[in-house]
Amino acid sequence: MLTGWWDDYLWGAVVVAKVFAASLSLMILFGLIGAAAKLSDNPVAQKIANGYTVVFRGTPEILVILLLYFGSAIALTAVARLFDPDVRFVDVPPFWAGTIAIALIVGSYATETFRGAFLGVKPGSIEAARALGMSPLQTFIYIRIPEMWRIALPPFGNHMLSLVKDTALISIIGLNETLFVAKQAITVTGKPFTMYIVVGIIYLGFSTLITLSVMGIEKYGNRTTVGAR
Amino acid sequence: MSFDLNLILDSLPRMLAGLGVTLQLLVVSGLLGLILAILLLLMRLSGKFYLDWVAQVYIYIFRGTPILVQIFIIYYGLPQFEAVRDSIFWSILREPTGCAILALTLNTGAYVSEILRGGVLGVDKGLLEAGSALGMSARQKFIYITTPLATRLALPAYSNDVISLLKSTALASTITITDMTGIARTIVADTYAPYEVFISLAIVYMIFTFGIQKLFGVFERYLGRYARREE
Repeated sequence: MLTGWWDDYLWGAVVVAKVFAASLSLMILFGLIGAAAKLSDNPVAQKIANGYTVVFRGTPEILVILLLYFGSAIALTAVARLFDPDVRFVDVPPFWAGTIAIALIVGSYATETFRGAFLGVKPGSIEAARALGMSPLQTFIYIRIPEMWRIALPPFGNHMLSLVKDTALISIIGLNETLFVAKQAITVTGKPFTMYIVVGIIYLGFSTLITLSVMGIEKYGNRTTVGAR
Repeated sequence: MSFDLNLILDSLPRMLAGLGVTLQLLVVSGLLGLILAILLLLMRLSGKFYLDWVAQVYIYIFRGTPILVQIFIIYYGLPQFEAVRDSIFWSILREPTGCAILALTLNTGAYVSEILRGGVLGVDKGLLEAGSALGMSARQKFIYITTPLATRLALPAYSNDVISLLKSTALASTITITDMTGIARTIVADTYAPYEVFISLAIVYMIFTFGIQKLFGVFERYLGRYARREE
């Protein structure tokens, strides 16, 4: 039934995994910067971070992807023309436009998660660290971070699921991931249901993998927590 | 690269013409999705393992796959079968709007039922024991104690889901529906002015997100009017 299309789907899945890995690192980066800005005493940084979360949580994902893809192409073309007036059009790779777009979107949710998790660190733990003579940096590395990631993990798992599912949207700007492969397969075989179900199964596999990993990490994180829950 | 204000003034009314379609998708699939979510919730709470199992598998599948794939399976995929084309549902499934509403309903139902379940599980056990002590039946307890309290607990998370449903309606533009995003994409294809068109449309969506948040905030305060003592 899928004769001849297995390898295309496999490469499509590899693209999904690549987008996921790249956007995950960017998402964590954006989330941490956003949380740091929101928790800082600087009113300007707070305003910017608030604007960031309002904009990216209130706009449809597909709009952000389209805007970043077409918008950056126009901007880069304009920049390139400054140096060489003969440039007609600069192509932006859909991989990076899409990856950055979904990282920005999910990063705005991660900002709130990280902020809440840092606020959830028990004041008693920080006072204990100070009593032991730890420097602020030591407190951050040995107390805040280990306590914070355990609080952030369950919602963070959901953010990872959103990321992997948002990958499908990047097919709209021509990224050759599984949904894109299915479109090509359909024009040849004329079996849309079969081809899209395969895409669904691939994504379900990714979601399952992420859910199971988060469960495993959660168990690892709570191994030393005695008497909790 | 320049920012053309006239283009915004020209295209904004055209995009707002699609507001009706966007709101139709949001309201119809929101309400149907809520009904589906309650059905799934009751299946999960029924205590019958086969009902619980069916609901769990359903939720797992619809939360584990992208909404775009679900839309494509329903709109492009289902007509592959003759049985679908001959069935009475064909009048709905032939139309992109019917398919979009169906996909959004099935999708949001899975998410909302988990939100409602969180609310039900959050209801204080002591209140249910008090209900039993007063001689209430299981059904009475569910209607008079669990439902009102669970609604209050689930409301903040539910408002977030309504917002993500609003954002998901934009995907209807991928199956030829002329909602606000669909019209915007047509305008951009004609004028090649993504900044002006997409940014002004993003602002329209943000206004609606803000409105939904405020609306639920009012409703939340109304439901919590008895609990406003502390602080």
